[in-house]
Amino acid sequence: MRRLLALWKLGVVQTLGRFRTAEARRLVMTLLGVALAVALMVSVTSVAVGLASGSTVQGDDVDYWIVPEGGSASTIAVSVEGPRLGAVHRTTAEISADDRVTYATPIQLQILRVSSGNSSEYLLAAGVIPPRDGQRVIGLPTDTLTPGDPHYANGSYDGPWTGDAVLSSAAAEVLGINTGDELNPSSTDRSFRAVDIADADISTGLGPVPVMLVHLSELQTITGTADGDQADQILVSTNDPSVEQKLTGLYPQTDVLTRSGVGGASLSTSSLPLAVAVAALLTAVSIGALFVATLTGLDVIANRATIAAQGAMGFSRRSQTILVLSQVVTIAGLGGIAGTLLGLGGLLGINRVSQAYVGVENVAQFHPLLLAYGPLVAILIGLLASPYPAWLARRTNIVEVLDQ
Amino acid sequence: MSSIEPDSVEHQNTPVVNAVDVGRTYTRGHGGGLLNRGADATVVTALDGVSAGVSRGELVGIAGPSGSGKSTLLHLFAALDTPTSGRVEIGGTNTAELSERARSKLRRDHIGIVFQRFHLLPALTAQQNVALPFIEWGIGKRDRRDRAELLLHRVGLGDRLTHRPAELSGGEQQRVAVARALAGEPDLLIADEPTGELDSEAGANVLDLLADVADDRAVIVASHDQAVLERVDRTIRLRDGHVVNDA
Repeated sequence: MRRLLALWKLGVVQTLGRFRTAEARRLVMTLLGVALAVALMVSVTSVAVGLASGSTVQGDDVDYWIVPEGGSASTIAVSVEGPRLGAVHRTTAEISADDRVTYATPIQLQILRVSSGNSSEYLLAAGVIPPRDGQRVIGLPTDTLTPGDPHYANGSYDGPWTGDAVLSSAAAEVLGINTGDELNPSSTDRSFRAVDIADADISTGLGPVPVMLVHLSELQTITGTADGDQADQILVSTNDPSVEQKLTGLYPQTDVLTRSGVGGASLSTSSLPLAVAVAALLTAVSIGALFVATLTGLDVIANRATIAAQGAMGFSRRSQTILVLSQVVTIAGLGGIAGTLLGLGGLLGINRVSQAYVGVENVAQFHPLLLAYGPLVAILIGLLASPYPAWLARRTNIVEVLDQ
Repeated sequence: MSSIEPDSVEHQNTPVVNAVDVGRTYTRGHGGGLLNRGADATVVTALDGVSAGVSRGELVGIAGPSGSGKSTLLHLFAALDTPTSGRVEIGGTNTAELSERARSKLRRDHIGIVFQRFHLLPALTAQQNVALPFIEWGIGKRDRRDRAELLLHRVGLGDRLTHRPAELSGGEQQRVAVARALAGEPDLLIADEPTGELDSEAGANVLDLLADVADDRAVIVASHDQAVLERVDRTIRLRDGHVVNDA
């Protein structure tokens, strides 16, 4: 065991030392190959993380959301028409009564056909209880909506109809309307009025979504979900993590998810982020392993004389294999660290480009596990790539090489 | 010339390495392809009927023109290769009867090899290079370091412990290589053109060192260099795979 460790350490020391020799260029090339593969993987995986956890409908300060079990956490598209929560006004009032909670609102999401003038388009309507401080929901400001939910009127649904609607600029554009214009949802006599038009920063990665933000009770009324006071999820803003415990017990068969968490629930409810992450992993591992195998193979061929000399000195084939393995894994590991840093740079780049050209923020999202993920995958790449250089080292003919 | 003071006459007379009627042939070429396999293969005789032995305390040279079988005999003496006929015995063991792994162990435990091009690892210090064989023996780090330091002192490089090969002259690198070859206190030290890459002064220093270590072991030096052959106790001269002179 001591010999194994010493051999492994020798491989590591030898590899690090070679960066100071004439062989540094070849080593840097190999390292860069791994780094690029890992960087690509980390960047793409950060997009997957963004898809899985950054695409809910809340603004920046919302920390938890309650969703039906197996339901609607991952994307807006999945959220629409999913299983729903009941008695949401009462429950939200209970949650808001807690001093630790700064703000809570149910959210109902519904695709609505809305007409204005001569145009008629489908919009994503979101019913919320606007907070008093004008906090953004679905990336839209709520300060122009009448605070509270007047039409709800303690469950009688006969309070004043505000008709307030905040539209995303994408929604206003497709309908061709301006602030103050009237909006008529199909299949109802009720109407809304555009009180504000603003850029929405929904991070779906799907491009701008036409969204309309209205009072929850009014959306419930026109969609027939007032019975049972239904909504898709409840968003809870708090700075106190202990609130999560309370939220967990509110409804049976619901999940409480944190905003940045990549929980099993969110991954299992949408296979897209997982598929993206797995594809990135497979691509990085296969390309990285082939690249490392090729370059370290060339490295072994270039160092055949040293391998032959070590064999002549009595180094066993097994020892030579361990040396090669340790060297390949060391290079791959270093490439993994460099690649992870590059990948995080890529994450920032993706977000900057998507913000600049698509108008969508946070397509890619950082997760602390990515810091370990990159180097670990790089080590896997090294392990997968090492049989080839190890085989080349083993078949080095000592006499033939020393004769040259 | 080194002063040879073997422990006993019997000790001196028992060859550390002994070749008896050794032949070595190689098959060159494998034929063209699947259909005419073996058709173009030719058999080359590198050594034929060579007998020679080297005892403890002897510094023996192997000389001969290119293609004379010099390197082949050296490889057989070093247990890097086995003869196709006859036998090579190292410490009484017939190398042809050993597996490759056993020959590797034999080299590790009983033979030190010095190469023309040193083959030091450029990334390691002189001390780490000398300590390399100790790793294979499973010796602890501190012990490895101490022993390597002693060996470097022995070859006159006690002040170059932390120098890397690139920071050493050719002569110093070769002395590090000799120290590494001596790590296992081998019974047999084999040097292939040890002065081939050195200037005459550095070469003379390395020869002094080899002569010095030949006091208590057999040392075989293959060389074209007349200065080397003048320093050895005896020279085995080869031509066309045969020994033409052993004196």
